[in-house]
Amino acid sequence: MRSGTFPRVQILLVGVGGQGVLAAAQILGAAAHEEGLPVVVGQLHGMSQRGGSVQCTVILGRAESSFLCGGEADVVIAFEPLEAVRALPQMGPTTRVVMSRSLIVPFDAVLARTPSPDVDDLIAQLRAVARDVHDVDTRKLMGGVGEARALNVMMLGAAVGLDVVPVGETAILGGVDVRCGPKYRDANRRAFSLGRDALRATHVSGEDDRVRA
Amino acid sequence: MSLPIAPSGPAPRRDILLGAAGTTECLLGNEAIVRGALEAGIAFMAGYPGTPSSEITDGFARIAKTRNVAFEYSVNEKIALELAFASAIAGGRSMCAMKHLGLMVAGDPLSTIPYVGVEAGMVIVSAGDPSCHTSPNEADQRHLGPMLHIPVLDPSTPSEAHAMARAAFELSEASQLPVLLRTTTRVAHSRADVLLGPLREPRVSGFVRDPSRFVPVPANARRMRIELKGRIELARKWMAGSGFLRVEGAGRDVVVATGAPAATTADLLRELGATQQVKLVRVGAVHPLPEREVMDELRGARRVLVVEELSPFLENALLVLVARHGLAVTILGKHSGHFPEEFEYDPLIIQRALFEALGVGEAPRPRPPTSAVGVRAPSLCPGCPHRAAFVAARSAFDEDQLYFNDIGCYTLGYAPPLRMADALLCMGSGFTLASGVARVTGKRTVGYMGDSTFFHAGMPALLDAIKEHANVVAVVLDNEITAMTGFQESPDGGKIEAVARALGAAHVETTDPYDLAASIATFRRARAATGVSVVVVRRACPVHGARVGTSPRAEPYEADPELCRSCGREQLGLRCDVPTTEGYERNLARVAALRTELEPAPEIAPCATRCPLSLCIQGYAGHIAAGEYAEAVRHVVARTPLPESVCRLCHRPCEDACVRSALDEPVAINDLKRFVVEWAERERPELLAVPKDPPNGLSVAVVGAGVSGLAAAHDLAVRGYAVTMFDAEKRPGGLLTHGIPEHRLPEASVSKDIARILGLGVTFVGNARLGRELSLGELADRHDAVYLAIGAHRPRTLDLPGAGTVRTIDALAYLRAVRLGESAPLADRVVVVGGGNAAIDASRTALRRGASAVTVACIEERDEMPALRDEVVAAEQEEIELRNGVRPVELVPAGLRVAPVGGDDAEILLEADLVIIAIGQELDPTALGTGGPSTTNGKVDVDPVTCRTSLPRVFAGGDVVAGARTVTDAIAWGLRAAWAIDATLRGRPNADRRSPPLPARPSLAAPRVKAPSEPRRAPPHLDPQARRRSMNEVVGALSEKDARAEAMRCLMCGQCGNCRACIDALGCPAIAMDTSGAHVAVDPTWCIGCGVCETLCSNRALHARTPS
Repeated sequence: MRSGTFPRVQILLVGVGGQGVLAAAQILGAAAHEEGLPVVVGQLHGMSQRGGSVQCTVILGRAESSFLCGGEADVVIAFEPLEAVRALPQMGPTTRVVMSRSLIVPFDAVLARTPSPDVDDLIAQLRAVARDVHDVDTRKLMGGVGEARALNVMMLGAAVGLDVVPVGETAILGGVDVRCGPKYRDANRRAFSLGRDALRATHVSGEDDRVRA
Repeated sequence: MSLPIAPSGPAPRRDILLGAAGTTECLLGNEAIVRGALEAGIAFMAGYPGTPSSEITDGFARIAKTRNVAFEYSVNEKIALELAFASAIAGGRSMCAMKHLGLMVAGDPLSTIPYVGVEAGMVIVSAGDPSCHTSPNEADQRHLGPMLHIPVLDPSTPSEAHAMARAAFELSEASQLPVLLRTTTRVAHSRADVLLGPLREPRVSGFVRDPSRFVPVPANARRMRIELKGRIELARKWMAGSGFLRVEGAGRDVVVATGAPAATTADLLRELGATQQVKLVRVGAVHPLPEREVMDELRGARRVLVVEELSPFLENALLVLVARHGLAVTILGKHSGHFPEEFEYDPLIIQRALFEALGVGEAPRPRPPTSAVGVRAPSLCPGCPHRAAFVAARSAFDEDQLYFNDIGCYTLGYAPPLRMADALLCMGSGFTLASGVARVTGKRTVGYMGDSTFFHAGMPALLDAIKEHANVVAVVLDNEITAMTGFQESPDGGKIEAVARALGAAHVETTDPYDLAASIATFRRARAATGVSVVVVRRACPVHGARVGTSPRAEPYEADPELCRSCGREQLGLRCDVPTTEGYERNLARVAALRTELEPAPEIAPCATRCPLSLCIQGYAGHIAAGEYAEAVRHVVARTPLPESVCRLCHRPCEDACVRSALDEPVAINDLKRFVVEWAERERPELLAVPKDPPNGLSVAVVGAGVSGLAAAHDLAVRGYAVTMFDAEKRPGGLLTHGIPEHRLPEASVSKDIARILGLGVTFVGNARLGRELSLGELADRHDAVYLAIGAHRPRTLDLPGAGTVRTIDALAYLRAVRLGESAPLADRVVVVGGGNAAIDASRTALRRGASAVTVACIEERDEMPALRDEVVAAEQEEIELRNGVRPVELVPAGLRVAPVGGDDAEILLEADLVIIAIGQELDPTALGTGGPSTTNGKVDVDPVTCRTSLPRVFAGGDVVAGARTVTDAIAWGLRAAWAIDATLRGRPNADRRSPPLPARPSLAAPRVKAPSEPRRAPPHLDPQARRRSMNEVVGALSEKDARAEAMRCLMCGQCGNCRACIDALGCPAIAMDTSGAHVAVDPTWCIGCGVCETLCSNRALHARTPS
């Protein structure tokens, strides 16, 4: 275990029930465990399978509780822009945000005929609070995957591409395989690479924090 | 003990629960409990799934067989608890798991088990839910400890849950008491490193017969009560040495924490660097509290802050302790206002309390404000059979139907648009609430529950309802799985019908929810029945089916933009300004589902094609069906300036075209119109007035204030024209006020129509006849346009021998005199010559004026008479004699001689002292004066679209051009003329804002149609005998109930351009409006291809994608 020296990293994963947020948190937790990191995963799912808001935490380093200590995440991986905005209270000036641009309008808003929000306006709200915000056009990228359920793996790939999670690619992909089985192996690899490559350039250049994949 | 049931899925190669001793696994709190129990050598496990406890039973389902543990998903928690107790008294360590609500279900055995005691260790896991993440309450289970004499352990982390689960068996055996391992969602659903211990094989020592020990008859129970005291003290002693009272850090101030907040507090103190500033006492041994050891930690402390969620359970215990021991220490917590008694504690709550109570750390930084992101409530999954069942139920019952719901996925039917839960309480409450409300209100109610819930708590509820003959529709939503808690198996649902019958249910039906038409019919039958009806709605959960591979996802659906939200009427230029509503769309969906065939589907409903006014009939029928009368009125007045008159007089060509005729009888379209018009007069008269454009500075003269003139004046005034209406009569109305008798069109009704038109600012000039007081040339000079609508007033005459021998009068003159109260001839025996509406009107008027015998003689056979069929029937009811197929031959002093048409038979004398001639009218050529427009055969020549005559800026319409037609046709002419005048004077774009009626279109071949038969509702009629004595209106309006039932008969066969029924009535989260807002779009990643949307899409726009 590397617990003694490892700095605590608090990761918040948010999205919509059915997007695989819970599975992503579990995969990330298992991968960290595999690498010998102490980890606590909060996967309070409530009624998350049914399209509700989901928030999961993955806390690396010495921790007992799955709550974000201090209330602030170091990293937010948002599978949906509105859910990213919902997580604003858990963000601060050091928070790094990786998010999907792909909007899922809440059904209540569809019923109420509320106009869809502008994703760039939502991103601007996040930028006002967080250290940096990196959006990925997952809907477009997913076209190259062919398996819609691989979105969560793509988001993990994006986080790895930006180098915001201290867990290696091999361990994560191993966790994906254990969780999802061989049937989706290829689709998951494609999704992971597309997500990773979309944000890797950003990380390497370190300049433009806004990438449209 | 029952046999273990096979786990629901194959165990993975290396199960996380079965790791080697000495290794670390990242386990969920619930998994840690399973592992702890396995390390304790558990022999028996039972439970009922309930979030957040479900992964405990699910874990056992996976590995019970390989670990030789007897396991079952029990039918309910009481059974699980009793089975676990049975194992424990038979010498096998046992566990049962449930959520906190479930433990209340097991309350009866739970309260006695401590008295009896156990032999082998027995652990009850009860998962509480502070913050009500998935529960209707957050009751604090710890109170069961002192209340029932049960030791309680409360872990703060998965690792601690693991240790406690293992040790609890020892505690149980040491004290012979069952142990309550109380978790919360935070612990149960957090995953953390757990150091695994060695697994132990289960052992069962066997049941040793000892009735005095195991039978708590009162004498034994009193003894047991005394023994209990000793057992609790044994437990207290065990707790003291258990390691579940832990101290971390040091300091004069003490924080006592328990449950999940203990872990959060420990993290916080480390983060804040305050571990040497305060002493943290972590209490996992909640009851009985190791008092001496706790006191030792508090002695010498200055202040003690107690951190525990929910009630001040520990805080109160400490207050008592401190008081009893006379310790001078301040206990802070909930009583001091530092903590709330509700919901989970996040780190910020604890950080603030540490700072405010003990001065530790700093106050938390203010967080960014919560953004106004709308709630994203959970909903039933796309393709959920429950949704289809709810849509079917809503289609079968009235809007005010009461629905009682239960615990399961179907609880989510609470949300809009389904709104399927008027009340809900607990497992089984769907039937009991329905039954109880039915019994006190006398209303037939609907109760829902799932298959698992039915077996859990529904059977006794159903039996009770049957026994009491409750007026209830008991619906079992059988998806063949316990889906809400993660797809645990449920007892064989196929038994439900047999169980219901065995319980005494006489009416039991089964339906497939995806077959909406059949399901609606099933619910209709259940609605019509009395007593308990049981409806089993059966369809396997498709999400589970996809997971286990029994029902792979079908191709997703897509919306055809050519059909979705496309209205054939709008494509022809008929604007629609009435938005659809949820109720309207629900009716559209209902009808579409019931209309199992409509081939070929018309773009425009045939009724609307035939309507002279191009009314959107399904528009107002649909809104009436939904009880939305204001919207229905908007549809009517959008195209009808004389609603009171039209809804009484229309000749209803729409009904001849009604597709419903192929099934039973046409929809009573005009009766529906009458219903809403009268509703509006009564409730919302302002709706009948069309909003007016500002004045446009142009003026139009309307010559003739009859039906067509009034209609044109109305639409011109609405378009902002200054309108002056001239008429030869003293008052406006033409035929409406001078020809139609009161018994068909009461003065009060027509006055409202006319008053509304004059109220738009239209000037009326009476006693002004063209060619006498008025000249066309002068009018054309003074106005920007003239509309000629003078009608046809010169009666056709019969040139018969014997004129003057018997009194004769023209029908219109007769009717006019009666209507105006002028002197009209009275007669005992009257013969009316003619077969049109004027003839029937005159005959019925004569009857009401005291005639003892009235005969209508006409050349047409009865079925060919031009008069409205209903009028002919009404005349017959009034005992007016019809002489069909005869021609008048000669007037004689005794009456009229007639002869059969085309025959040589002898002439017949129809005795009369008054003969009324009703053979039609024609245009008086002198009425136009000199310099009038050109005419042909006595009719003014016009362009049928632009209404233009041979004179510039002079337009004409109504009877003056078309010969004597109907009231509705005359209105259509007026509307068309108003549009044409506007188009001429201000251009088409402006005129098209208020589109004119379309020219009549030929009827297309009637589509083939299949839908359930439903009798036509008839409005009330005055008794025929009563009619002879008064001019009162004969036909009344439909009652509200009948109107809605009649409107629901409309097959809504035209397309709708504003429909979103798949969103607003079905509520499928896979469907939303596309980004342009023009059509709906189906998200292919969410759609599972259930096809229910296709069934209820009225426009037939939704189809499965073609596989690529």
